[in-house]
Amino acid sequence: MSALLQAELLKLRTTRTFAALVAAALVLSLLVVVLVANLGGDFTADEVRDLFTADFTGLFIILLGVIGMAGEWRHRTITSTVLAAPDRIRLLGAKMLAYAAAGALLSLIVTLSIMLVGSIILSARDEETAAVADLVDVLWRNLLVAALVGALGVGIGAVVRNQVAAIVGVLFVAFVLEPTLLGLLPDYGRFGPTQGAPGGIIGAAGFEEEDADELLAPGVATLVMLGWIGALFAAGAARLRGSDLV
Amino acid sequence: MAPVEIRGLSKRFGSVLAVDDLTFDIAAGRVTGFLGPNGAGKSTTLRALLGLVRPTAGTATFEGSRYDQLERPATKVGAVLEDASFHPGRTGRNHLRVLAVTGRHPPERIDAVLEAVGLTPAADRRVKGYSMGMRQRLAIASALLGDPEVLILDEPTNGLDPPGIAWMRGMVREQATRGRAVLVSSHLLAEVAQSVDDVVVIAKGKMRGHGTLEQVLGGDEGPSTEVRSQDDDRLARVLQAAGHAVTRLPAGGLLVLGVSPREVGEIAHDGGVYLVKLSQRSRSLEQAFFALTGGEQAE
Repeated sequence: MSALLQAELLKLRTTRTFAALVAAALVLSLLVVVLVANLGGDFTADEVRDLFTADFTGLFIILLGVIGMAGEWRHRTITSTVLAAPDRIRLLGAKMLAYAAAGALLSLIVTLSIMLVGSIILSARDEETAAVADLVDVLWRNLLVAALVGALGVGIGAVVRNQVAAIVGVLFVAFVLEPTLLGLLPDYGRFGPTQGAPGGIIGAAGFEEEDADELLAPGVATLVMLGWIGALFAAGAARLRGSDLV
Repeated sequence: MAPVEIRGLSKRFGSVLAVDDLTFDIAAGRVTGFLGPNGAGKSTTLRALLGLVRPTAGTATFEGSRYDQLERPATKVGAVLEDASFHPGRTGRNHLRVLAVTGRHPPERIDAVLEAVGLTPAADRRVKGYSMGMRQRLAIASALLGDPEVLILDEPTNGLDPPGIAWMRGMVREQATRGRAVLVSSHLLAEVAQSVDDVVVIAKGKMRGHGTLEQVLGGDEGPSTEVRSQDDDRLARVLQAAGHAVTRLPAGGLLVLGVSPREVGEIAHDGGVYLVKLSQRSRSLEQAFFALTGGEQAE
């Protein structure tokens, strides 16, 4: 498993996609933090904490996971991948772990960057800054969400092998279906894999106060995410195992 | 135990029987040509051997083990499949690095195989800029990375220019000389005839012949006889009982390789079979191949 994991991480590092997505996530997250920190005023401690949850890693890492798995079919590299690692279940497991690790790393880079830049701007403007304990709290939540959605993306790519369909589907669920569910049927929406459950792990950030009360507790939200990942792993593994690679 | 053993292998895709009860072995230190027209079932057979498709029946093993049961498969088997694909944004060297990490091969093997296939100067270029020949060389380098005992090449000359084909032939021979079992599939007999020791000929998923090139296809000098009788089944049994390999011709009748018409006539007479046609076949390898596989030039 260790060799497979190393190989998957090496695959990630040796294409431009990963670097491009890291850059995009960093730029987008920094842009939001710089704008809000400069244009906002009279920040409360909670608002500063919420500001540092503006880590857009989740969106990018889930897409990276989808591309990493569905791309094996798009580029027809699945054959050489399976030849090198014939145990398809372990292969899928290694890919999920690799993208979870990549998500955590990406989030670490982005979160630390926005915390540093945001704190400098807020200090310069004599605004409230976050306590170290709050920063650590935000950091681990961001990392956990990024790791979970990284694995989730791989699972989606294993089930929906058409890369374009998988990406469009993820974007639809993340930006249309789940927000609608959260607004209309929050009892169901909070279990969603791209907004609801990740929102529960991060906390109230990004949600209106009345919506925030509907979110799952972080522990429960983590279990829900693991449930989604487990279900996608099972479905993806069954599909992968039963497929003839012709 | 042979390096590669295929026993009663069949593969059905829906209503299509792509491979029908194939049985043959591949020997170490020899190049075996796996021949048949397009759609004969060659690629499906190789993919079943490599665990990429699940056989409907039968087994395909390497010294008794299925591909997915091999501890470190790349050290046992190297394969180049017809549609060898690479991530276009990854360099040739990085593609090999990924495989080396997966297979736990020493990093120095990367430079060794790049050198062996003549790809060192282009190793750090992205694969999307490679020519077809360079991609094929990279595929070969990938297959050789684990220094495997068995080499499987599916239509390896597809898309190669004449120098590339010549290089491939030399490489194949060299691998066999080193003691490796090499299986090369092709739908073009002429491309492999010069470099193979044995051939396995299939058509429509069925075995048409297996043995040395001369045994199976005869050739210009070798005697071969086409014969028809009132009871070809009985004649086939009589000839086989006399120790001769018999192939059924698609157009009817039998092809008896390595035996003159006179001998066939005597055996039929002794067996009490009435013949309706008996003729010596003088043909090229290609004609023999077409006759076996039911190609358009079959007589």
